[in-house]
Amino acid sequence: MQPDSGDERPVSTPKRQRTVDFSDAVNGHANGDLPAGASPSKRTKTTPKKPSAVKESGLRTPTHKSKATALFSTHTKTTAPATPSRVRNADRSAKKKSARLLLEQDDDDVWDGADRLAEEILEDENDTTAAEDTNGVVDTIEPDTEDASKAATTPKRRAGRPKGAKNKRSPTPEGELPAHERYFFQNRAGPPKTSNNNLNKVTLLTHEDYFEKTAQYADPCSQEKAFLLDLHHRSFSQWNFEFHQGYNICLYGYGSKRRLMQDFADWMYHKHGPSAPPSIVIVNGHTPNISIRSIFATIVTAVLGADIPSKLGAQPIEVLELLQSVLNSRSSQGPITVLINSIDAPPLRRAANQALLARLAATPKIHLLATADTPNYLLMWDISLRDQFNFVFHDCTTFAPFDTEFDVVEEVHSLLGRKGRRVGGKEGVEFVLKSLPENARNLYQLLLTEIISMFDDGHNSDDEMEGGAGRDGDKDDVGIEFRMLYQKATEEFIASSEMMFRTLLKEFHDHQMITSKMDTSGMEILGIPLSREEMEGVLEDLVLS
Amino acid sequence: MDLETDIQATTKDGTNTQGVYIYRPANASKPHGERPSKRRKVQTDRKDQVIDSTPFVPLLNGDENETSVQLRYNAYQQLWSEQQAKIQEILDDVDSDVLDNVSSFVRSTSPQTYDGCIPTALVTVGSNVSSLGRLLAKLNNQLTTAEQGGVVVLESGDAPNLKTTLKNIIRAAIANTEGNDGYQNFLTDREGPRLLGYDLDLLGDYVKRKGLKKLVVAFRDSEAFDPNILTDLLSLLSSWLDRIPFSLLFGISTSVELFEGRLPRSSVALLRGKYFEIHGASNCVDRIYERLQAEPTGRFWIGRGITGVLFEKSNDFFQTPEAFSRTVKYAYMMHFFANPVSVLLSDEASKVQREPLCEAIRNLPSFRRFCEQLLDDDSAKQVRQLLEDNEFLFQQSLDCLRNGQQRMRNIFQAVKMIHTCLKNLNTSKSPTISALSIRALSGELLDSTFVDDVLKMLKTQDSSKLTDLFEITPQSLTDTAEFQKLLKDFEALTQVHQGKEPLRSEYDSLNSTVATTVVQQRVRLSKGKTKMSQQNIDYTKIIDRFHALLEGYFVETLVKPQDLPLHEAFLLDMRNPLKEVFSPRPRFAIERALASPFDYLISTSEKTDSRISAQQPATAVLYQLYLESGALVNVHDLWQAFYAVFESEQGDACDERMVMALFYRAVSELKVLGMLKTSRKKVDHAAKTAWVGL
Repeated sequence: MQPDSGDERPVSTPKRQRTVDFSDAVNGHANGDLPAGASPSKRTKTTPKKPSAVKESGLRTPTHKSKATALFSTHTKTTAPATPSRVRNADRSAKKKSARLLLEQDDDDVWDGADRLAEEILEDENDTTAAEDTNGVVDTIEPDTEDASKAATTPKRRAGRPKGAKNKRSPTPEGELPAHERYFFQNRAGPPKTSNNNLNKVTLLTHEDYFEKTAQYADPCSQEKAFLLDLHHRSFSQWNFEFHQGYNICLYGYGSKRRLMQDFADWMYHKHGPSAPPSIVIVNGHTPNISIRSIFATIVTAVLGADIPSKLGAQPIEVLELLQSVLNSRSSQGPITVLINSIDAPPLRRAANQALLARLAATPKIHLLATADTPNYLLMWDISLRDQFNFVFHDCTTFAPFDTEFDVVEEVHSLLGRKGRRVGGKEGVEFVLKSLPENARNLYQLLLTEIISMFDDGHNSDDEMEGGAGRDGDKDDVGIEFRMLYQKATEEFIASSEMMFRTLLKEFHDHQMITSKMDTSGMEILGIPLSREEMEGVLEDLVLS
Repeated sequence: MDLETDIQATTKDGTNTQGVYIYRPANASKPHGERPSKRRKVQTDRKDQVIDSTPFVPLLNGDENETSVQLRYNAYQQLWSEQQAKIQEILDDVDSDVLDNVSSFVRSTSPQTYDGCIPTALVTVGSNVSSLGRLLAKLNNQLTTAEQGGVVVLESGDAPNLKTTLKNIIRAAIANTEGNDGYQNFLTDREGPRLLGYDLDLLGDYVKRKGLKKLVVAFRDSEAFDPNILTDLLSLLSSWLDRIPFSLLFGISTSVELFEGRLPRSSVALLRGKYFEIHGASNCVDRIYERLQAEPTGRFWIGRGITGVLFEKSNDFFQTPEAFSRTVKYAYMMHFFANPVSVLLSDEASKVQREPLCEAIRNLPSFRRFCEQLLDDDSAKQVRQLLEDNEFLFQQSLDCLRNGQQRMRNIFQAVKMIHTCLKNLNTSKSPTISALSIRALSGELLDSTFVDDVLKMLKTQDSSKLTDLFEITPQSLTDTAEFQKLLKDFEALTQVHQGKEPLRSEYDSLNSTVATTVVQQRVRLSKGKTKMSQQNIDYTKIIDRFHALLEGYFVETLVKPQDLPLHEAFLLDMRNPLKEVFSPRPRFAIERALASPFDYLISTSEKTDSRISAQQPATAVLYQLYLESGALVNVHDLWQAFYAVFESEQGDACDERMVMALFYRAVSELKVLGMLKTSRKKVDHAAKTAWVGL
């Protein structure tokens, strides 16, 4: 029940409603759907009585009805109605949106909830404007009430589940389902039932935007998080005891645990005092290109200090064995604490790396404290690795953001398939091209032409492209085979030998202007990490210049 | 090198972005600011005096004094080192016959005895994966101390290709006796052209120089090796067999047939040898448990819950005996680290500081029950004294403790007796000692069928078996006067009895006859007693007496341990921390943190609302929206829903870009946690990859 419209319009009982309808007919302008904002169930009941547009679409089936209730069920806005001007703006934007929705609607799309809503909003507009034209007196009251109800509806539509709005079947099953039932419910066969909305109209964040905004962000839970961290701090002495007894420790749970690790290192340091500082080696497993050998080598450095042998050996296993023999021979050597942040991060995730780390962990005098971020990290270790690691596990949920663990913007863009933005996009590529010799520019032009023509060949009929003018939905799949490009390049006198051709390509590789991958038959496929429009833009500029 | 750089790489928040570095305190002089560290500082200051000797911390709000902490730690050390020794004894003992077989095989065989084939030992380990490691270590010890050779252990990770495999074999073989430096010297200090690290000539030289007779190459996880590499390696090794005395040892987890099937015939033809079998781990685990719990000198016991966890684990999945004993060790650690009353177990408990400990004892639930019982027995004075006089309480607690410990020992003696009886009498379904212990520790053994079975079977025993039974009868029963009298009578009876046949009681089936009569076309069995000799009648009386005695003994002994006063000191029965520590549920933890963040973020204010709200962390908000979606998620709509959550709460103040930044953070986290992945089905869609609760 909406407080804003409810007090003015007593529509809660069907009786009253009928009187309203009656007055509709008398007044001759359709405000029959005004109580719509009052309650969803009311709305579905009253709408069929409205004149004009909606009628032709027929009666609502039970599914629609349940849909409509679902749409409005999570409405949370209970604040007083906003000022008329703001409401009008919201109103207008809602109208704009409805119009767009109607325009964008596919022919084969089934008429359903969201469209109906859009139609209704549009219709409201028609009605009110009509009313304003004919009746100046009503004007004073009409927009206000009208808007009040609209103000309630529009944000409601957003606060609900817009992603379900186009669904005839809601992705959220009704009632409480057991986990497996829910899985099957959400994985029913059939085409994906999601809306065709896409992010083209939304300006995505750049790295700068992101860092600027996160720097300004004031965390509403900072106090609780600090308390949580403090709780974890209290178990430091327990961890120390576990180390002392020969266990290694693995921390899991949601949130970045780097800070906690750092604090533990500080704690260890202060416990031992500066006179006998403990040997602590910290590993950031999420660092790209980190190698196991460098980890082992650093530990050897921590043990031996200045007198490390000049040659450590190239294989990590050799370094590890050196470390083990050094630790064996030095009986007075204190324990080495190795703190590994994100032991399950992609660079360390490989089975071979985990096996080496397990051997490290099994070395006496090595105390390993590892953190794991992902939910399924236990799958990395089989029984013999688990045995070697000798872990005790502690839940250390911190809720701290993963700021250093990975590049947030990069992750999101790669999820959305917009990797190309990172290279500097169109501008970056053009900038590089300007500094390259004529030959290279020609080769890139050739590559662009080939790939764009492949777009045209293969993807005109592709219905997936309908939404965003064939944006980079699957650009990664489009590419030209290495041999073919070489052949074309020789035909065009761009490269006379394969050697030269490769040199040119290397330049592109270095600037990440092309992508290269092996397809299933083992052929090298070259692609361009740009969206199609961007490619066309680059080609245009290349041709014109 | 990186020592200089790590300081520069430190970012402003004090974290370091380098891949790996040696820790340097950010500011050595003062602990870095902020509240938690200050609080810790206070603790560390106080602890500093203690810390040198023990890793324990003062309990009871930090009021425990140094001596108590030290005593607690010593008690732990002493107790566990005893137990550790017992475990080690069992581990040494358990596979000793296999070790003997394998080592005599290795010593006795040579290529000559096997017509030029490589002598090969195939060891099936089954689930007992750690046993092979122990076996190889022992074998290596034997061989190296006798200076006959050594064992080179290869794991599948050591064999990515032939060259590396050979290099690893050579290095391991040389470093085994010479150490790492010795290996380096061996490589460099030899005349003639320098050989590459994977040249078997090196190994040949080494073998000649040391006069080795055996070089065992052990493949720990033979299934995981690449068969192609294995084939190449085998043919290479066999061609060097005249210069290097190789023996091979394969650890097999599946079966010998499968192992053979993976290799080509030509390789199999190069091998000849024997097959050894190591038995499963569960037997060993049971033995360890029995040694730890049922020793007549036991002082501390783990309770029903923990026993349950331990055996649940080793039944549900493979668990090595080492892992088992580590879990037990952790239980011991837990007890002494966190339970201040555990100091009573110390040998020098009298030295302990009375004040905070006595307060703690008074708060024990079992102490309260004890007092209530005393009150019921009209000993109000004693209760008053317990509550007021620390010294009296302390002495009483020590008495209680000793008494309780004795009761526990008796329980386990009884358990052992029942176990042996059942094993001797009824081989088909005799329960393990752990199963019996679980019942005993929860106080259910007395009412169980096991005790009934034992008592029932006792009646049918003849005199020779009864003698055996007397032998396994626990001492606490045999010491009683009644039992001694019974024993004397029994001996007198057997002295008199000279017949070949042992004495039988009237309950014995041999002493009853079954008569078959047909009554109204139905067969009716009727039992009739045969006439018994006077001796047998006397014997029956003895049996009856013993039966009554034993029944009384069981009733008295098999009490519920949780009813013993002060059981908190000598019995640990907390299931939970142990279970969480060794079988974590990380996925559940993360899902819970995201689905109901205020379970973790304990807040004082009024926002502990289960609904989605902007007060929750961004990722939690997004995760809850994500849960409602189908298998395919439209990121745009997800963003709209996410924004609406913030907009509806913050109204005008809502900064869209800020919310977008939070959205980015949340989406990226879900992606990294493996809950979302790129989908090519539709533009700007992501695929859902994790379903809650599955």
